[in-house]
Amino acid sequence: MENSVPSDASKHVTKMVLYGLATVSLYALMFVSEERILTLTAQGGWYFMIPITIAFIFSFAHGTFTAQFWDVLGIKAKK
Amino acid sequence: MDNLSNFIHLDLITILYLFTVGFIGGLVSGFIGSGGAFVLTPAMMSLGVPGIVAVASNICHKFPKALVGAMKRAKYGQVDVKLGIVLGVSAEAGVLYGAHVQEGIKKTFGDAGSNLYVSVAFVIVLAIVGGYVLRDAWSIYKAGTSDHEEKVGKLARRVQAINIPGTMVYFPSLKTKISILFTIPIGFATGMLAATIAVGGFIGVPAMHYVMGAPSLMASATELVIAFVMGVGGTIKYAWSGLVDVRLAMIILAGSLFGIQLGAIGTTYVKPYLIKVVMGVIMMLVLLSRGIVIPVYLSDLGMITHMDPGLAKLLKNVSFSVMIIALATGAFIVLSALIKGMRAHRTEKETAAAIGVFTGHDVAAAGTQLDPIGRLERILLVTDGSEYSTGAVQEAINLAKRCGGRLRALSVIAADSEYETLGAQLLKKEQDNALAHLRELQATAVAAGVECEIQLRQGAEIYQEIVSEADDQHMDVIVMGRRGRSGLLRTMMGSTTARVIGHTRCSVFVVPRAAHMEGRNTLLAVDGSRYSDAAAAATANIARQCNTPVTVVSVSSEEASPMRQKEVEGNVARIVRLLSQTGIAARSRLMKGRPDLAIVEAARAEGSDLIVMGSHGRTGLDRMLIGSVSERVIGHTNCAVLVVKA
Repeated sequence: MENSVPSDASKHVTKMVLYGLATVSLYALMFVSEERILTLTAQGGWYFMIPITIAFIFSFAHGTFTAQFWDVLGIKAKK
Repeated sequence: MDNLSNFIHLDLITILYLFTVGFIGGLVSGFIGSGGAFVLTPAMMSLGVPGIVAVASNICHKFPKALVGAMKRAKYGQVDVKLGIVLGVSAEAGVLYGAHVQEGIKKTFGDAGSNLYVSVAFVIVLAIVGGYVLRDAWSIYKAGTSDHEEKVGKLARRVQAINIPGTMVYFPSLKTKISILFTIPIGFATGMLAATIAVGGFIGVPAMHYVMGAPSLMASATELVIAFVMGVGGTIKYAWSGLVDVRLAMIILAGSLFGIQLGAIGTTYVKPYLIKVVMGVIMMLVLLSRGIVIPVYLSDLGMITHMDPGLAKLLKNVSFSVMIIALATGAFIVLSALIKGMRAHRTEKETAAAIGVFTGHDVAAAGTQLDPIGRLERILLVTDGSEYSTGAVQEAINLAKRCGGRLRALSVIAADSEYETLGAQLLKKEQDNALAHLRELQATAVAAGVECEIQLRQGAEIYQEIVSEADDQHMDVIVMGRRGRSGLLRTMMGSTTARVIGHTRCSVFVVPRAAHMEGRNTLLAVDGSRYSDAAAAATANIARQCNTPVTVVSVSSEEASPMRQKEVEGNVARIVRLLSQTGIAARSRLMKGRPDLAIVEAARAEGSDLIVMGSHGRTGLDRMLIGSVSERVIGHTNCAVLVVKA
């Protein structure tokens, strides 16, 4: 019984760290290319795909990271 | 670079500020479902972001956040995907129209016009919807139904009853069919508002709840689906015009995804009414914040006389401060509800695991009460010498006799320092009378074979004196009447009793004047909490001494899920089994409805002369908002009530 707890917890921690690193990289990339991104998105038209795509990718990486984050801290839903 | 004029420069402070605002917005959003964007749009505007860019960036952060939140809450079974998609599609049309209106205003009147339009929309919508939500939360508190899932309101019942052939669609959250002719305008209005102020949920959630009849938890969760559907559409529309600042959107998203997960977890620990309280309180504060700044925009547009720049700056600062207060208030209520809920849940689980230790056999075999839970050995009798204390005096002596307990009789004189100085003679007379009464009572108790000490105290707050005495003397139970006369002022003993119950750590036995325990039946009211288990232990003590049959009653909500119902039944059966094992004649009675009324009714039907129940011992805001079932039972019943503290 006791062995299963740390292995389960370490799985969560590993997942959290992986997605956390991915999230940080994505944000770093966005700020490095800040001006370029803004210049393109400000033109509108079909460049609307840029913010939409960024939003989906970021939400996937960061959403998974935050879910793991609270789980690792032991903050879980009732039942 | 001219086309970048809509985008502000970001420094570390701005980023941290947006992240924090995003977190709190997400927290509120995960909790009440409506975007939390009402704090995000103005927060961005306060940094100098033009209104339309703030709205556009807000919508862009909103749809991925809504997606994550909806998926999280779908796991808890709170999302009606069908209703969300149906409303979301018509909301999409509303978004497109709303965005079109917004752009038109910006072209015609510039940024000041756009800002004014957004602020006025905020004030009007928040005043109407926020007022309604707060009024509803207040009426729930007054009706004392906060422990239940809400009932379908009058308007929703009427809407559900209208049958328009060919347009009826079944929705799981409503558990009935409803015409899509109602969902289309609601969706459209939600979308239009979302495109205007990025908080369509302020129409969507109340409409789903009050107009369609969806439970508020499901309405707030389903709103996340609508938010996703229309968020994608809204983002495309604004991004097509090049108005989305994706940096702002993603920074807010970074904070809000932390928040939305936490807010969604929070909903699993709270009662539905709290969602309305949080929503209403925040709406009113944001309304105030936006209202304050309207004259500034009017001045910019030349619609009123030109405002002094110093005054305009002051108004903007005040507006900003109120916004911070709104943020902090929302976060505080949600976080404290979450922490409290998690703590209570953990304690309940621990107690449930430990309750197997309790057995009534121990009580009988030892001839005394070894179990500290529900022990009734040290009895504090509170008396004021009035007729309202007669029942309490009689039952306290009987209880001490039956349980082999020791009695301590207490009288409290209400007197503050001013009274002590000005009315020394009056006070002396009052003390003499009280002491004489206590000595008389002591003689009666001794004659009945019960050891009795007496104590006279005085203080400004009667309940505090009673609670302190019980604490100092390590009492197990306080016995008191329901109304009484205390010193100079005749007060409602009801309020003193309620305060004692709220603040003391020991059990409280409330005996109305005419109550007399003959051992006919004891009604044990349980709700599955650790407090109920303590009440069961106390009932076992009394029932064995008095050889009284026990009826274990549990009251569940009309709309309780089958799982919850099964849980209730299992809990009642467990307590009946525990009592039966100690040789007590125990049976169960399962009821539905309002707990206080159902318990009083059950006591009447069973011919009970004693009701035993656990108390959560709420105080402060919590008690003010949801009241106490035990207090209401005490107020309504004519028989004695033992409120057991765990």
